[in-house]
Amino acid sequence: MTTTMDETGTREHRHGGTGGTGREVKPVPAWRRRLRPYLLSVPALLITVGILYPFVLGAYYSVLNYAAVRPTPEFVGLDNFKTVMSDPIFWTSVRVTAVYALVATAVETVLGVGIALLLNRSSIVGKIFEKVLILPLMIAPVIAGVIWRLMFNPQFGILNHVLGLGSTFNWLSTKTALWSVILVDVWIFTPFVAILVLAGIRSLPKEPFEASDVDGAGWFYMFRRLMLPMMWPYILVAVIFRFMDSLKIFDHVFVLTAGGPGSTTRTLQIGAYEDSIINLNYSVGSTYMFLLWALVFLTARYLVSVLGKAQKRAAGSET
Amino acid sequence: MNDSNRPPQTSRRDLLKAMGFGGLSLAATPLLNACGVGTGGSTGGAANGASEVSGSFDWKKAKGESIKILQTPHPYQQSFQPLLKEFTAKTGIQVTADLVPEADYFTKLNTELAGKSGEHDVFMTGAYFIWQYGPPGWMEDLKPWLENDSATSQEYDFEDIYEGLRTATSWDFKVGSPLGTGGQWAIPWGFETNVIAYNKKLFDAKGIRPAETWGDFQQLAVDLTDRSKNQYGVSFRGSKSWATIHPGFMTQYTRMGCVDYKSSGGKLTAAMNSPEAVEFSQQWVDLAKHAGPTSWTTYEYPDCTRDLGDGTAAMVFDADSATYPKNKKGASREAGNLAWHPGPAGPDGSYATNLWTWSLAMNSASKKKLAAWLFIQWATGKEAMSRGVQQGAFADPTRQSVFDSVFKQTLGAFPGYLDTFEKVVPETKIQFTPQTSFFETTEDWAVALQDMYSGKDAKSSLDDLAKSSDSKVNA
Repeated sequence: MTTTMDETGTREHRHGGTGGTGREVKPVPAWRRRLRPYLLSVPALLITVGILYPFVLGAYYSVLNYAAVRPTPEFVGLDNFKTVMSDPIFWTSVRVTAVYALVATAVETVLGVGIALLLNRSSIVGKIFEKVLILPLMIAPVIAGVIWRLMFNPQFGILNHVLGLGSTFNWLSTKTALWSVILVDVWIFTPFVAILVLAGIRSLPKEPFEASDVDGAGWFYMFRRLMLPMMWPYILVAVIFRFMDSLKIFDHVFVLTAGGPGSTTRTLQIGAYEDSIINLNYSVGSTYMFLLWALVFLTARYLVSVLGKAQKRAAGSET
Repeated sequence: MNDSNRPPQTSRRDLLKAMGFGGLSLAATPLLNACGVGTGGSTGGAANGASEVSGSFDWKKAKGESIKILQTPHPYQQSFQPLLKEFTAKTGIQVTADLVPEADYFTKLNTELAGKSGEHDVFMTGAYFIWQYGPPGWMEDLKPWLENDSATSQEYDFEDIYEGLRTATSWDFKVGSPLGTGGQWAIPWGFETNVIAYNKKLFDAKGIRPAETWGDFQQLAVDLTDRSKNQYGVSFRGSKSWATIHPGFMTQYTRMGCVDYKSSGGKLTAAMNSPEAVEFSQQWVDLAKHAGPTSWTTYEYPDCTRDLGDGTAAMVFDADSATYPKNKKGASREAGNLAWHPGPAGPDGSYATNLWTWSLAMNSASKKKLAAWLFIQWATGKEAMSRGVQQGAFADPTRQSVFDSVFKQTLGAFPGYLDTFEKVVPETKIQFTPQTSFFETTEDWAVALQDMYSGKDAKSSLDDLAKSSDSKVNA
């Protein structure tokens, strides 16, 4: 088949070959060609509107004093931001969220990379574990929260029983609650990091490793000088996913502690939920969400720029 | 083939970059979506529909209509579910009941009412929620419906419902006004008094009886605690929720002579930091530490009743109707061994008790208000309530006539239940001061107790609570 363009830009199709009929195909009208890009972009546009509408609405609410008890809201400028940011409980939530995200991401990354390296060695056990490892990811975090809440229960939970802690050790006390909810996060999401990094390791070229082997390099030397720099971009992608996800953590933490005891595990999302859904104070809840969005956005921008540099280094275009 | 003719290829770098931005999008999208809470935005509720009903009363007046009701799975709902077909036969109105688990029920209800969609015509609610749903006009005032003989059967005896319950669901939404003023925002359907349920078999084996005073109660609970045997004295709620305050805590708090707010000149002043309140709150938290569940700060009522039913807890200080099902044959390990007691009296002999009432309310955005009212009227009427008690597990009916005639007959295997009820019911009412920031300030109260449990000084915790509550309730 050949395609030519006439002077008006109309596309004309002809079938070649001895057996072809040479029948003319009706030219596509110009208006349809002009409309086609817009039609193609409609689904994406609808999705964008679906995302942008609540965002703009949330931003708008954050400058009003809108609450269920004030159905006719007034414009209050940045008062909500001043109120929220002068409240110590907000900064407690920022601290809890930051500690949660940093610790959970760090532990999951270290464990995930370690597990990926172990699974990369071809063995029957590795292949079985590869399949089994994905199971926690198949459980919704809310369900995981319910399961772990039962396991954490000092009266009848399996953890105290197996670990011989009796009925007196409280996994969700003021001192332990934050670490316990991080433990659940690690249980759910370490396989995610492991699988992502494992996929990265398996896509690495074999030649540099073979050359190093010929030169007599040891395993650790090859890992430090070859594998780690080359798989660093994959690790960073896993870190970006997990860190961003951890910043907006809500589900299993809410199920396990509802943000307590006191405010020990009150993340920013739980704060926003309390204000918006429980207290029906939509403007304060939206302010929380807007501040969290800013935090996520700026952090993500920074991490993506770090990722870009790591990619260049891995490709050898930047030293 | 030159480069420009090659199909576009995604390089490893592009893929990684896309994955990085994918992470950003994944992180941001739920945040953006969550910002769109409460898209109602309009003012007030729809006009009251009672005035549109005229002529003589007839149960078939809305024949052919269909209504939707929103409920949470609860013994009250479960007792009535088989009776819905009888309502349809009586009125010609089809009823669809949507169920949402209690943990998510009010989140769903808040969101729906704020959106003013009118999807559900009738919904189950508690009295405290009226203080929040009423001011924005999300609920229909049922007083005009009760007063309209064209809409309400002459046999419907509203005064038969216990007075404390009728006033609990009525308020004018003015700061400082007592309950019982203003509109009737819901009709009480079932209710709960907060008393002690205990393991009678254990008590009998030890030759002891429930304590009559607060001091004796604390000592008894400690004596019954043996952590090495995984047994503890008394279970009560401690989770980070307003629901931690309203059952046992508020009941005993009131019996000890404490109040939440003092009202003067249309302004409320928080009194949770009064000397007597500080002393009692510290004793309550100490009781949780020394004789309560180890993970008290996560405990909700199902945890408490489960421990009682399993024999782990010797007593529970919570709703009588929550512990009642645990004594039914086959419902728990200790079924048949439980009994009830009013709990410790106050220093002046007070048995003041806080109540919870599951009530039926009408969505002001409903398009089928007559059908909705006929359903509420039927469900809270003598006939249907009696059938619910006889056929189901409907404890504590809100009508005195049903309680006296039908419910009493079901209490043979529930030692102390009736005596306890009759002892506390004259002083049973909502012991909270009504105010529109109830959920926020009462959850703050639970947080203050949790802070004290973690070791924070009681006076400073409650001073902080009182200060923040003052500004919220008078805003």
